[in-house]
Formats: sequence, structure tokens, C-alpha cells
Amino acid sequence: MKTLAEVGEAAVRDALRADGLWLDVGSVTVHVRSDAPSLADALTDVYRHFPFQSRPSWADLHVELRARRRVHVPWRPQAEFICDGSRPFEPFPLDTALPLFEWGVNWMIGTRLHHRLLLHAGAVARNDLAVLMPAVPGAGKTTLTAALASRGWRLLSDEFAAVEPDTGLVWPLIKPPVLKNESIAVFRQFAPAASLGRVYPATRKGDVAHVAPPADAVAGRRRPARPIAIVLPSWQADAPARLEPVSPALACSALAFNAFNYRICGEAGFRAVARLAREASTWQLTYGRLEDALNCLDDLYERTLASPPRTDHAELDALQGAG
Amino acid sequence: MRRWPDLSWLVALRRPEEVLGWSLNQWDQRVRLARRLRLLGRLAEAVLGAGLSSRLPEPVVNALVGGSRLARVRSQALSWCRDEVARALDGLEAPLVLLKGAAYMAQRLPNAMGRLPSDLDILVPARVLPQARARLIAAGWTEVDLDDHDQRYYREWSHELPPMRHPMHAIELDVHHNILPPVARDRVDGDVLIEAAFALDGSPAASWWVLSKEDQVLHCAAHLFHDSEHRDRLRDLIDLEVLLGAHGADDPEFAARLVGRARRLGLEDALALGVTLLREGLGATLDPVLDGMAREALSHRRLAFLCGCFATVLAPLDPDAEPGWQLRASETLLLARHHWRRMPLPLLLKHSWHKLQLRGRAQSEVGPN
Repeated sequence: MKTLAEVGEAAVRDALRADGLWLDVGSVTVHVRSDAPSLADALTDVYRHFPFQSRPSWADLHVELRARRRVHVPWRPQAEFICDGSRPFEPFPLDTALPLFEWGVNWMIGTRLHHRLLLHAGAVARNDLAVLMPAVPGAGKTTLTAALASRGWRLLSDEFAAVEPDTGLVWPLIKPPVLKNESIAVFRQFAPAASLGRVYPATRKGDVAHVAPPADAVAGRRRPARPIAIVLPSWQADAPARLEPVSPALACSALAFNAFNYRICGEAGFRAVARLAREASTWQLTYGRLEDALNCLDDLYERTLASPPRTDHAELDALQGAG
Repeated sequence: MRRWPDLSWLVALRRPEEVLGWSLNQWDQRVRLARRLRLLGRLAEAVLGAGLSSRLPEPVVNALVGGSRLARVRSQALSWCRDEVARALDGLEAPLVLLKGAAYMAQRLPNAMGRLPSDLDILVPARVLPQARARLIAAGWTEVDLDDHDQRYYREWSHELPPMRHPMHAIELDVHHNILPPVARDRVDGDVLIEAAFALDGSPAASWWVLSKEDQVLHCAAHLFHDSEHRDRLRDLIDLEVLLGAHGADDPEFAARLVGRARRLGLEDALALGVTLLREGLGATLDPVLDGMAREALSHRRLAFLCGCFATVLAPLDPDAEPGWQLRASETLLLARHHWRRMPLPLLLKHSWHKLQLRGRAQSEVGPN
């Protein structure tokens, strides 16, 4: 199947105006329709490596971005986000259709996809062994994830690490990582060859730019990975990079706290978190320079391969038994 | 009357094996419709409970599992909330009555499985309302912030306290002393409802009561047809069908008693509307006594017209449907009727004036953005 970049913007625009575009990002297929020309342009750019699919099939989410002009300010056209006949958000200016699409879809994923535990975490893999980076906003998760994805790690997710409770595997959910404000320049400098969409200045979340998921990530969007490490990133200006071990109990709370649907997943969510904390080692990563952080994670990967994490945490066995 | 959307798929709630014949495209539409109608959890419990998941496409199973998890966590939250409220009200010399979803769950009716509840509705006699309120507030429940007019509205003209919230509970609590406002045109004597209510023994909600079986049906109908919002409320109609089935199944006299009770409480119109919409929209088979009563009532043009309005609003034609002019017109008429029947004219004018002022104020605060 051809990719969006191969068919080109005109075909994407026609599809969006007709039956729509079915974007398969791994754990989720999003059906999108739109008459906003700026969206066709932006999707072709940022989802360039994704297969172009314009024939109806199953979708987990059906959304529409509709351009509208208001009578009293016709010179300020807007885009509305519509999902299943309702409008969960205020409209955005029409030329920021992509940020609206991304946030809207992320919101819908976070409120609807409860068959997998959705951790608010970046996730990358090497040889199908995954590192999860759960973090609160502002911890540098996205920049780090995008940086890793530009240096040979397979991107699994920037926003949602989708963990399957029954197997403990993390499944790709490849939305484009969204860089904000200063991190845009930092990433550009770090990975000049990476494809970055245009910068949308002064949106509700400041300046934002979307990283186009690399071709290898898109190709592997149906291939899960086994989590081997949980890394809690914390960026501090000029700090030397260091990795410090974190207790599994703390790992559990960090994972549960940073999940979108931990409570909704109920017992399945608890088991998934406990299993992650047991089977993967957990580390606090403090860093000031991306280069150093990446070296740390490469080391961690090599070390973990040499000696797999312990699986005899009595504390967690007790928890698991109780659940 | 308006063309009904194709609702034949709802049969899967009762006969889940029907879904084995659905195409992926049909699943796509029906999962979305079910979610929009707050029925996805029910569909999920029916299908997964019948052990069909290994014979269905993976994305469908995922959607059903997600829907069932959401419904379960909300039902659990409701049960916990119910138990905590019972503890707070323990010792109050009065029956505490569960209404709507909580009552269906406590009686283990078929519409309780996979239900997605949003609030806990309870009924207490009007005489103990102040004590109940005080105890709940002492237990940490707070009333939502209201201005003077709204406080007076709830105190004097409404059939319930202002909605209450609790920092530990995700569920909102509505404490009723009646099922319709005491100033409404179709008012009901709350004490008559409580006299007929019965205690739940051997249920997980053992300290609670529920309305008599007839009154449960009538409350369900009154709640749907006297409410202010009707869009996508098909679930209430299905509740009515379940109640009629569950309570009337082994009791040949039930329909006659129900009609008598509706006459006594002045809720014949609501019952007739419900029965007619069930017959026409869901193709339900109904007891001849009920059916005869509804047909006679619907021979009046006013009620037939209303029935058409409800039929337009209750269920979307397809999952993307946005309200067209017919739907908006029906909604406006129903809203006008709701207010007209809910309060006498002087009060209605006062209330509307207040709401209009609030709206003006809200708009000027937001600005012309």
C-alpha cells in the first residue's frame, strides 16, 4: 500500500473530503474526515510514512474537523472537532487544524480505549525490548523519546504506552511526538535529519511542532515489545546524566499515577502495573544534555541484556498474590 | 410520524448470539451508536458474557472490553456510594428508597448488567428531608454552589435537593422527596409512593427499599417524558421495556394494576407514550390491556403529536447524526412542554426571567471570542 507522502497532498485532501482517511497508528485506527485544507497538508507531512487508506474499514475513533466561518468575524475561520455527533472542545483557528486534530484524538483515546492500560509514557524499543518513560508534563519525556527514535530506537509511543494486561507487552500507538517551545530548537539541533512538521506558534500550549514518526516505527506498528526498563526522566539544566535505581514499589505508584485509565482497568490495571514493576527494572534518569541521556540508556540496554532484571521481589509477589 | 432508525440490532441485548451475523462495518456503526446511547456496556456484557469473544474480530472485542470495564468501574463506584450514603443515613426513622439505575442494580434486573450510571438517585419522605440533608452534609457531602433563586427553586418548587457531591465519590447524589415537582401540573403524592415501596431483603443493598413494581414502571416513564432533555435517551425506553418484562412476566394482573395505578397517580399520558414508543420504535410485544390503554390515549391528537416529537429525539439515525431542524423543533417543543407542565405560569415567568439574565451575564463575561 502507498504511503501518504507517496500519494501526495492532493489525494489526501480529496480523501478527507470524500469518505475520509483511515489512519492505522497501531493500537488504534482513526477515521478522519475534513474540509480544512491545512489539515490535508499537515497530515501528509507528519503522517508521511503511514499507509494511505481511503476505503471504509473498522475504526476505533471517527472524527471530523470541519471548517466554519462565523458571520461576525468571517476573516477568522475556525476548525471544529466533531466526534460521533458531539463537539467536546472549543473550536481552534483554522490554520491550527493539526494541533486540534492531535489533541482531540488523544483526548478521545484517553477517554475511550480501556482494553489496554494506557500509561502516560514515552516508549521506545530495540530488538523488541522496550523502555517505558512515564512522566508528568514538562519532564522532557517527548524530547527524549523523539531523540531516541532518531537514533535507532523504534518509536512505540510518545503519549500513550499501551500495555496489554494479559501479556505484559507494550503495543505501539504511534502518534507524532509533539515538541513544545524551547524543545523544538533543541531537537532540531540534535537531529537535523529528522522530519519535523511546521511550527504552530502561540497555540494554547505555546509553540508546538510535530515529529513525523520514522518509517521503521510505522512498519512495526503491529509488533509489540517486551518492557525491560522503566525510566523516570527528569531534565535539569546542566546536570550531569545519571541513572539511579528506583524501588519496585515506587515504580508501581509512578506507573499508576501516570496512567490515563488505571482505575477504569480495575484489577487488570493493577496486575499490569505490578507485573511491569516486577519484570522491568526502574530507574530515575537525571540529565541536562540529550546526548548524555542517550548514552545512559544505551548502557542500560546493554547491561540489561547481560543480566536480566531480578524477578524475586517478595514485596510484589505478596501484592500480586493479594490481587 | 418520523421514520424510526433501524433498531433491530438491539435484539442482541437479549439474544447475543445474533451478533455472530454482523459484518465488521455493521459492528463499527453499532458500537458507536451503542456508546452514544450509553448502551455499549450492556451490549458488551451480553456478548462477552455469552462467551462469544473468540468468534469475533479483534478490534470489536477490544471495544467491547473497554466498554465493559468503564461500565463496571462506574457501577462499582455507584455501589460504594450507595453503601456510604446508607451509613450516613443510618438511624433515620424512614424508609430509604433507591430509584432508577441504583434500584435496577439492587434488584439485579437485566438492564443493570453493564449499565453506565452517572448519579445515585434516592427518595426519602419529605418529612425527614431536612435531617437527611444535615446528615449527608455532616458526612462530607456538599451541595453545588447556587444563587438565591436556585436555592429557592430547589427548596420550594422542586422534588429534589440540589445535587450533592463528595470528594471521595465520583458519583453525584440526588436526594428526592418525590418523583415530580410538588408544583407541577401532574403532581404526585410522594407519601403514596413510599407507602407502596418495599424493602429489599437478601440483596447487596439490604438496608434499602425500592418503589413498588408498578411505580418503578411509572417513574421510569415519568422520568423520561417529563424531563427537559430527551436527545439520545433511548436507554430509558429500553429500561421501560425491561421493567415491564421483569415485573409483569409471571403476573397476569400486573398490566391491569399498572393502568389503575397510572390513573391514580395521574401518569396515564406518560405510560401511554412509553407503551406506544416501545411498540413502534422497538417492536415490543405488549400486554393487550396496556396496548389498549395506549391506543385509546393516543387517539387524542395532542398525545399523538407529542409521541411524534419524542420519536424524533430519542435515537440518532446514524452515529454521526447531528440535530436537523426537525429534531431541534421537536426538542424546543418538548422543552416548552416540560417547563409548562413543571410549574405554574407566574413561577415559570419568574424562573425564565432569571435564567435569561444568567445567560446574558455569562455571555458578557465570556466576551465576543
